[in-house]
Amino acid sequence: MTSVIHDTFVIQRSYQATPARVFAAFASPEAKNSWGDSAEAGPAPGSEAEFDFRVGGRERFSHVYQGTTYRYDALYYDIVPDQRIIYCYEMYAGEARISVSVATIEFAKDGDGTALTVTEQGVYLDGIDGDQAPALRKGGTEEMLDGLTGYLARTAS
Amino acid sequence: MTGRAVQHATFSIERTFEFSPAEVFAAFATAEANGRWLFAPDEAPKDGDEFDFSVGGRDHFAVKTPDGPTHTYDASYYDIVPDQRIIYCYEMYSGDARISVSVATIELSPAQGGTRLTFTEDGAYLDGLDLPRQREEGTGFVLDDFIRALRDQPR
Repeated sequence: MTSVIHDTFVIQRSYQATPARVFAAFASPEAKNSWGDSAEAGPAPGSEAEFDFRVGGRERFSHVYQGTTYRYDALYYDIVPDQRIIYCYEMYAGEARISVSVATIEFAKDGDGTALTVTEQGVYLDGIDGDQAPALRKGGTEEMLDGLTGYLARTAS
Repeated sequence: MTGRAVQHATFSIERTFEFSPAEVFAAFATAEANGRWLFAPDEAPKDGDEFDFSVGGRDHFAVKTPDGPTHTYDASYYDIVPDQRIIYCYEMYSGDARISVSVATIELSPAQGGTRLTFTEDGAYLDGLDLPRQREEGTGFVLDDFIRALRDQPR
């Protein structure tokens, strides 16, 4: 039997970098790959990856985590340089689709730095990740954003 | 100009009516094949319209309002479980401006005497150009039109 959980979570972060630098960290594969990867996950062997950061472009990759291959497939809908990125994405665990989401990243100038807001509105499918699916997704996103702090410090001129 | 603002909202609309989940699902699939169930049930398809009710498929069409801008609808299907569930992401334009990006979930379940349809939209409404309340109201009208069209079709 099918089931769905609808959930929205919001994560807010402050970074000591301009909106242009924080935005750039999301806008190229070189930048994003240097902070977006979880230390515990590795790329899936033989998997295809794509990073086409423009409206209508896709981003795809696969990771192996604790023996399961997770596949990410995103489509960019809205890009306002230094201000906003909106994309829809789905996640698979093995062959099973586990979620479909719309994610909004907003970049706002905050003094000398940037206030970042990530809002994910997600549909989690068929209990595959259990009742805690939204909390797991939020935790994973928070870990990723922690990595961005270090990346921005390392690349500060 | 309201600036680059995003309003996030989720709304859910439920309707129970006298058709089986299989009949309702077929009507969605057929409505797509024949034209559209959303926004413009009475319009004939035009050049540039696209209807592909399949996972990874896309629906695209534009409707010119009598006194206002052209509304463009563009959806991509993510998840289709026959007789049970349809999930798609879609964006709407008013003229050249993108006014929303949403994920829509349609769930069908057997109910006393027919089907309970639950439509849930998780949406990002952009730059003050559309509002969640308007979208919810509009979607309710569209669902009522859809049910009316089901009742009107020969059985």
